[in-house]
Parts: sequence; C-alpha cells; structure tokens
Amino acid sequence: MTFDFPYFWHLLFSTAFLAPAWTTFWVTVAAMAIGLALGLFGALGAMSRHSSLRWIVAGYLWLVRGTPVLVQIVFWYDAVAELTNNIINLPALIAGVVALGINEGAYMTEIVRAGLLSVDPGQREAARSLGMTNALTMRRIVIPQAVRIIIPPTGNQFIGMLKTTSLLFTIAVPEIFAQGTNIYTVNFRYFEVLCVVSIWYLALTTVLTLAQRRLERRVGLERARLGGAGQGLLSRLFGAGAAREAR
Amino acid sequence: MHKRFGSLEVLKGITMDVAAGEVVCLLGPSGGGKTTLLRCINHLETIDAGTIRVDGEMVGYRLLPGGRLREESDRVVSARRARIGMVFQRFNLFAHLTALENVCEAPVHVRRVPRAAARELGMALLARVGLADKAHVHPHHLSGGQQQRVAIARALAMDPKLMLFDEPTSALDPELVGEVLETMRGLAEGGMTMIVVTHEMGFAREAADRVVMLDGGVIVEEAPPAEFFAAPRHERTRSFLGKVL
Repeated sequence: MTFDFPYFWHLLFSTAFLAPAWTTFWVTVAAMAIGLALGLFGALGAMSRHSSLRWIVAGYLWLVRGTPVLVQIVFWYDAVAELTNNIINLPALIAGVVALGINEGAYMTEIVRAGLLSVDPGQREAARSLGMTNALTMRRIVIPQAVRIIIPPTGNQFIGMLKTTSLLFTIAVPEIFAQGTNIYTVNFRYFEVLCVVSIWYLALTTVLTLAQRRLERRVGLERARLGGAGQGLLSRLFGAGAAREAR
Repeated sequence: MHKRFGSLEVLKGITMDVAAGEVVCLLGPSGGGKTTLLRCINHLETIDAGTIRVDGEMVGYRLLPGGRLREESDRVVSARRARIGMVFQRFNLFAHLTALENVCEAPVHVRRVPRAAARELGMALLARVGLADKAHVHPHHLSGGQQQRVAIARALAMDPKLMLFDEPTSALDPELVGEVLETMRGLAEGGMTMIVVTHEMGFAREAADRVVMLDGGVIVEEAPPAEFFAAPRHERTRSFLGKVL
C-alpha cells in the first residue's frame, strides 16, 4: 500500500475536522471543570475532621479509579437510562462530559490533596493564630500556595483528558476520532485519516501545553524571580508587585 | 490546667496568672511543657481539664451548666484568637505574600479594616519594627531576623491584648538574635502583656517582670528575675541554670 499524500493533504486542510475539534476542546474543558470542582471538594472531604466525609471520598475514589473509564462512559450513557426506565436519559454529549468529569474528579482529588498537604502546617497555624477561621485560612493562605504545586500535574491531566475524549466515539459523540472513524470506514484509508486525526490532537495538546507554561509563569512568578534574575530586575518586579497590591 | 497527648500528660496542673502589662518568661528544659502551655493559651492545642481565660473570657471552651466544658465553634474560637498575638519559632510568614501583605492580611479579612487604612497601619507597624523599606519584599528574600520582626508586626496588627512568643529567636543565626530581642524589649516597655518561651537568659533577666520555671509539666518555681537568677530556691532550677548560664 502507498501513502496517498494528496488525499492526506486535502483532508488535513478540509473543514471536516473543524467542528469535531471544537467538540473535543469544549468537552475537555467542561469535563476538566467538573473534575477540578470535584477534586477540590474531594480533597477537602478527604482531609475533613468528619469520618463520614472521608469515607464518602474514599468510596468515590475506590469505585471510580477501580473501573475502566470506558465502562463508566457507557454506564452514564446507556445503563443510567435503563436503570431509571428512561426517566434520566442523557444525550451522548452530556453523558460523556459527566462520565469524564466524574472520573477526572477522583484523580484531581489526589492531586489537590497533595497540593494542600504540601503547604507547611505552620502557615495554617499562623493564620489560625491571627483569628482566621478554617474556611478563610483555606481560601486565603493554603489554597493559593497549593495552586503552584497543583498546576503541573493538572496540566498533565488536561492533556490526558483531551486524548481520553476519543473514547466518546463509542457513544457517538462527534469528536475528532469519531469523525476519523466515520471517514475511514467509508474509504478504508486508515493511515492517512489517522495521521490527520493525530495532527489535530497534537495541535490541541500543543495549545494546552503553551497555556500551562503561561499560567505557571504567572503564579510561579516568585520562583522564576529566584532563578538568576539580578537585583535591579528584582526590585523592579517587586515594584510591580506593590502596584498590584495597592489596587 | 491539664494537657495530655495520648497517655502522656504534658502539663500536670498548671495554675498561673498574668497581669495586664506584665512580661512573663517561661524557662525550663526541652520537653518541660513550655511550648505546649503557650499553644494551649490560644487554643492551638485542646486542653483536658481546667480553664484558660484571657481578658476575662474563656478561650476555646464554654462552661455548660453543671460545670462541664464544651469546645466552642471554629468561629467563636477564631474571634477569641484574633486578640491573642502569637510569634512562632519558625516565623511562619505567609510565603505567597509580601511583608506588607502579611501584616495587612488579618486586619483586612478578619477585622474588615478598609484596605487603605490597613495599609497605613501595616506601614506604621513595619516602620515600628524597622522594616518600612522591606514592605514589598517576599519573606524568602528576608533574613531570619527580619522575617521574625515582620511576624511580630503581623501579630501586632490585630491589636492584641496578649502576645505569645514561642522561642522567637531559637531558629535565628546568633548575630540576628539581637534585633528581634530589641523589638520585643520595645514592646515590653510599651506595656504589652507578653508570655515568652525563651532560652535567652539575658532577655529574661532584663525584660521580664517574672520568670516561671517549667519542668516535667509543672511550675517548679516562679519569681522576679533578679531573685530567680541570683537565688533560685529549687534544686531543679539551680541545676537548669547551672547548665544554661
């Protein structure tokens, strides 16, 4: 067999993958948003004083991390409808986002928990000694410092999620890979089509990687300053920090 | 007041009064319960029996009819703590905030002081500890002594009725101890009520109104510093002073 370069080229720049790429992108973002929210609550629950909350989180992690995400996807799309006699019958897109989000929440719980644990307990004690309540201490002191630790693994998860959305082709969500299968089942040009599919994924993961770098530079500013910047630059940056503070 | 960690009783019945404006230094060997006592005062540690009152109000607990104690809610405990300043051995400045932001954090978010007023207060306090020029610097660019002075300013920003110092100079390089003690001496002269856990005998001798020797979870001896250092009555005090002086 030969690689049909003209066809590959044509497909790469055709509009066939525009809408699917958009679907992949926003499904990723929506699922990660759910995952992050669940991860934050999960981490707080896992570190709670109340054992019932800790048990709920432990059960959630056990169930979600212990079963394949593909099984969960089909569960939310098909089994839930069957279980509830079609009272809850989620459209494929919603079922997919819910399944991926809930799955992600379990992994994000561990990431957020690691971030919260990485903050020196002395920070919390100092905040408490100043009369800050538990909630305020979390919000103002612990979480802002945990975020720096949380961002790199979350970037990993984001990129992982982008690729995992390809599993949604099984429930007929029109994302990039599903579109690819639609094309190659008709013309049998697997190699060319999969190359184009891969390039779309690469393009999207590249965008996410760059976005992560930007974000890291912004919140990790302090650490970047430590590395090699001279005193003049330091004070100028601190001057900028002061201006921000004054607002 | 009693405090137990599991089966280990760390404080075996402490009874102590500190008058307003008084400076009390807690001395004694490591593991004697000094730091635990200090942490119990602002309820960073729970207590197992007895009561602690600051400015007439119980800290951390409420008396139920029948004399039993009930731990207060987070909100109530926090409100009480707000007027008890604490300075830690390891400084514990908020690493993501500048010196000024460290000082302003609690006034703005706990006492709801308007930002501009808090900023003014923060600058005044930093000037008082001699660090006005470091206001916009993050903690990791400050020396230990400077960090501890910012920590003192941060505690003062809540207008505390009582200041607790937990070995404030133990983590400092020797040449930086002086600046922190100087700041504390200034506070003491200004009439602040202070309880200081320290190994700085010089500070205890000069700045304290009273020295309390704690060993094995009990108060072994307490006396004005002149008397305490010149003529310790108790054998354990003598042996402790013999080792540290």
